[in-house]
Amino acid sequence: MNTPATVSIGLTNVSVHYRIAREKRRTVQEFVIHLAKGKKIEYQDFLALKELTLEVSDGETLGIIGHNGAGKSTLLKVIARVIRPQEGEVYAKGTIAPLIELGAGFDPELTGKENIYLNASILGFSRKETDSKFDSIVEFSELSEFIYSPLKSYSAGMVSRLGFSIATEVDPDILIIDEILAVGDEHFKRKCNQKILSFKARGTTMLLVSHDMDEIRKLCDRVLWLEQGALRMCGQADHVTDEYLKAV
Amino acid sequence: MGELFKEALEIMRYHELLRNLVIRDIKVRYKRSVLGFAWVMLNPLLMMLVLSLVFSTLFKGTVPNYTAYVLSGVIFWHFFSQGTTMALLSFTGNSDLLKKVYVPKAVFPLSVIISALVNLVLSLIPLFVILLITGTAIRYHVLLLPLGIILLSVFAFGFGLILSTVTVFFKDMIYIYGVLLMAWMYVTPIFYPSTIIPRNYRPIFSLNPLYHFIEIFRGCIFLDSPLIYEHFAYCLTFSALLLIAGWVFYHRYKDKIVYYL
Repeated sequence: MNTPATVSIGLTNVSVHYRIAREKRRTVQEFVIHLAKGKKIEYQDFLALKELTLEVSDGETLGIIGHNGAGKSTLLKVIARVIRPQEGEVYAKGTIAPLIELGAGFDPELTGKENIYLNASILGFSRKETDSKFDSIVEFSELSEFIYSPLKSYSAGMVSRLGFSIATEVDPDILIIDEILAVGDEHFKRKCNQKILSFKARGTTMLLVSHDMDEIRKLCDRVLWLEQGALRMCGQADHVTDEYLKAV
Repeated sequence: MGELFKEALEIMRYHELLRNLVIRDIKVRYKRSVLGFAWVMLNPLLMMLVLSLVFSTLFKGTVPNYTAYVLSGVIFWHFFSQGTTMALLSFTGNSDLLKKVYVPKAVFPLSVIISALVNLVLSLIPLFVILLITGTAIRYHVLLLPLGIILLSVFAFGFGLILSTVTVFFKDMIYIYGVLLMAWMYVTPIFYPSTIIPRNYRPIFSLNPLYHFIEIFRGCIFLDSPLIYEHFAYCLTFSALLLIAGWVFYHRYKDKIVYYL
């Protein structure tokens, strides 16, 4: 694919099919029965993304809006390489930190410190890089008192604070945020917002999924409106959110 | 062809994750027990005690040092069964993570094989202690032991790749493999001497890769094994085959895994 240097993320005709959950978990027994009956297993196809083409420039903040099940999370997962689309091509430049679900990959038996190293390595960062960021991660999370305690003794809010701090302190090229700004107390929420603004100022490419239109308007340069996996509208933040609100 | 190696290179870039997963595995497994890590060595010793009490009279005279024979068998078997069983569960067990963050997935089966390998190496300590106590001479073939262990690990990894991938699509594999492992243990000379296998059955036994692996494992340490180089040749072939087969199989299905988790 020929992609100019200023493009951070590019999608060309991307389609993602899911299979309906009922049929997806096959057991050998079912399989054999089906086979014996000479029946092909029927799949119900669900199109989560429909021929989506999209380009995000370096340093741009793109908001993604739409109803539940419109394909927002699927789109994020495609960009983060978690799922590979059956059709189309995906391009993403540099390191990606997904704030999809904070603390995926945390181990409750390990201490906060051990989890920082584990989580950073899941994101693909080396020990050296983590070493140099360690203090700022702990400081931002405000968990220095508990950093040598096992994670199982943390509250849910503390866990997400740690997750947010790791994903943001490691300084990714692309930051993916899936409705996580609602975590933590008011104080931490404000800190997160400031952090995100500082990323914007620094020129990090960001993708933000949210149902909060004020947040979207405040943070995003451009907004993508998804409907049933297809692009409904894409353009200036104020314009798209206004149309979206009119439609619902 | 290039695609096939891309993820192998990527795993090298994620060596830090590999390291952390191995450390986590070792740390967490014994964290809640009183004796902790000592269990790595205590476990095979206790198994040895039970098996030698049960079988020593039966197999007396067929094997020079039955205690060491059975302990080496237990250690060997424990590595293979623990490593492959954990590998089998390594995609389904990490589904939460695999559905949210991209990592080269093969890192998970690889990490459990490596942590089983760490356990194996540590449990060699009680084996050598037993050999010392019983006054059994250690063979100079011991220099080949690292190679034998590496071949065994490669074999287990290739096999683990197939198991973990299959389990994503057929969850029944978890139960099937439990039974398969038990049967496999009985056809492998773990606690009975390989000399009791009738001569005309030998060719059939030769088809069992683990038969050759256990032969070189013991042959490298203390047991006289006249055909050790022949067994090594078998092991080399089986490891190479399983590594290639496992990797190709995993590669063929790896992009579908997340959809089925």
